[in-house]
Amino acid sequence: MAGKDKPSPRLSEVNRPFWEACNTQMLKLQRCQSDACGKFIYYPRVCCPHCHSGDTKWTEVSGHGEIVSYTAVHRPHHETFYAEAPILFAAIKLDEGPIMFSRLTDRVDSNTTLVGQRVHVTFVDHTKDQKLPFFSLSAPLENGRDS
Amino acid sequence: MNKGYEGVYIVGAGQAVYRKGATDPVHRILWEAMNNGLLSASLDWKQVDGLAVSAFVLPPDNVTVVAEHFGLAPRWLFQGLYGGASGVIGMLHAARAIQAGDADVVACVTADVFDTARHNELLDQFNSSMRDYLSPFGFGGANGTFALHTRLYMDRYGATREDFGKLCVAQRANALLNPNALFDKALTLDDYLNARVIAEPLHLFDCVMPCTGGDCVVLASERVAESLTGPLVRILGGGEWHNYPKDDIYSLTGGWEAFRDRMYDQAGCGPQDMDFAQLYDDYPVMEFIQLEGLGITGVGETAQFIRNTDTTVNGTFPINTGGGQLSAGQAGASGGMIGVVEGVLQLRGEAGERQVDCHKGIVSGYGLVAYGRGLSCSAAVLERA
Repeated sequence: MAGKDKPSPRLSEVNRPFWEACNTQMLKLQRCQSDACGKFIYYPRVCCPHCHSGDTKWTEVSGHGEIVSYTAVHRPHHETFYAEAPILFAAIKLDEGPIMFSRLTDRVDSNTTLVGQRVHVTFVDHTKDQKLPFFSLSAPLENGRDS
Repeated sequence: MNKGYEGVYIVGAGQAVYRKGATDPVHRILWEAMNNGLLSASLDWKQVDGLAVSAFVLPPDNVTVVAEHFGLAPRWLFQGLYGGASGVIGMLHAARAIQAGDADVVACVTADVFDTARHNELLDQFNSSMRDYLSPFGFGGANGTFALHTRLYMDRYGATREDFGKLCVAQRANALLNPNALFDKALTLDDYLNARVIAEPLHLFDCVMPCTGGDCVVLASERVAESLTGPLVRILGGGEWHNYPKDDIYSLTGGWEAFRDRMYDQAGCGPQDMDFAQLYDDYPVMEFIQLEGLGITGVGETAQFIRNTDTTVNGTFPINTGGGQLSAGQAGASGGMIGVVEGVLQLRGEAGERQVDCHKGIVSGYGLVAYGRGLSCSAAVLERA
């Protein structure tokens, strides 16, 4: 059965720079160092999935992006989230290219569409050792509550 | 070169009894499904020289240990690591092995022992990308992941909850004719629309019920098949693809279009020649996307097709004639085989009250949900020999 701790990322040699940057309130992604590619990469990997180069470098990014799709999760997959439901979970296309799945800090009416809304990163305590990168709407919604 | 599957027959199909709760050992459910598959084929365990297995809860064991557990000494083994695409893929790989002479009789077996808690527990740790970059954000498991696809599909193509609902209601009607389906009460469109919300826009009846169950098809070489008296089924064409299209989570495709032309070319027929479709129905949106990927409907046109088509066993194009996972139950990796077994039963004329008039049909798989989508897809065209 599920334990009492919230599910947390397992730190590894591959992803440690990402999660450590989150704890200093910085969003860092790997960037492919191949001249012909140069794309940003998320989630953290041992190589560039676009050109397969093994040469990547951790780079701070803007933390801005746009909501591609979202859901309000009323029935979370893990009991430690039940008290926070509904959870606004979203796919965010970062301005640098990759899609990052995250949570929105805003509360909105369920019939308000969020697709296409601009968002920016904000770091939230998850466990005592780890902050997570959440996102907040960058401008108030015209047709919905934004608290 | 585009070689088909000549010289190989599906000679039997069987299931373990689908049940609620997760107390049985998965090895026993695999055994039950395989035993029923062999009984259906009138083959003895001694004749099995190949085994393909897929079961999420099997670790720390694997197919080799299952072979030993069952007292088999096979010369060919396969373990499906492609989630809900594994059922069809295992069957296709087994057919190639038989064609090459590496096996004569292969049992392709799937099973799982699931309830909601165990399903969530598995999904939380399904792969490292999910564990590290989705689960900590309270993503809601597969429901959350596919809620995002469902919303995008609705926005992009104008599909409505009523459209998904009509398909779910039709599958439930089919399930009521299937003694091995766990749902035994009719579902109305109102029931569907008013069910409690799980992850917007998904409500309860968009989501499968994790359960315990197992499925098996038995493949044999022509030499063995000739000695059998039961009805035979041919694999006319098939294929699999993984991580397609790469670099695009939200193309609203599942990858079938990558191989479907080659599959129909092998089969010598097209999507318009199918008498039924047994689709991988983890969520109704994936059935819509599957119909499009398999060329049965045009991209973005499935809602219109569903509005105009009776997809029950009494209709013009039956879909998931046994109820599918949505109405029979979702037994983990067996979700990728339940449609294969149903397709084979239909083509053998063994589907009882839910029998449809059919000569050819398509079976399809999808799965290995990872960072934002399922990575693997598969399909095969089957024909009554």
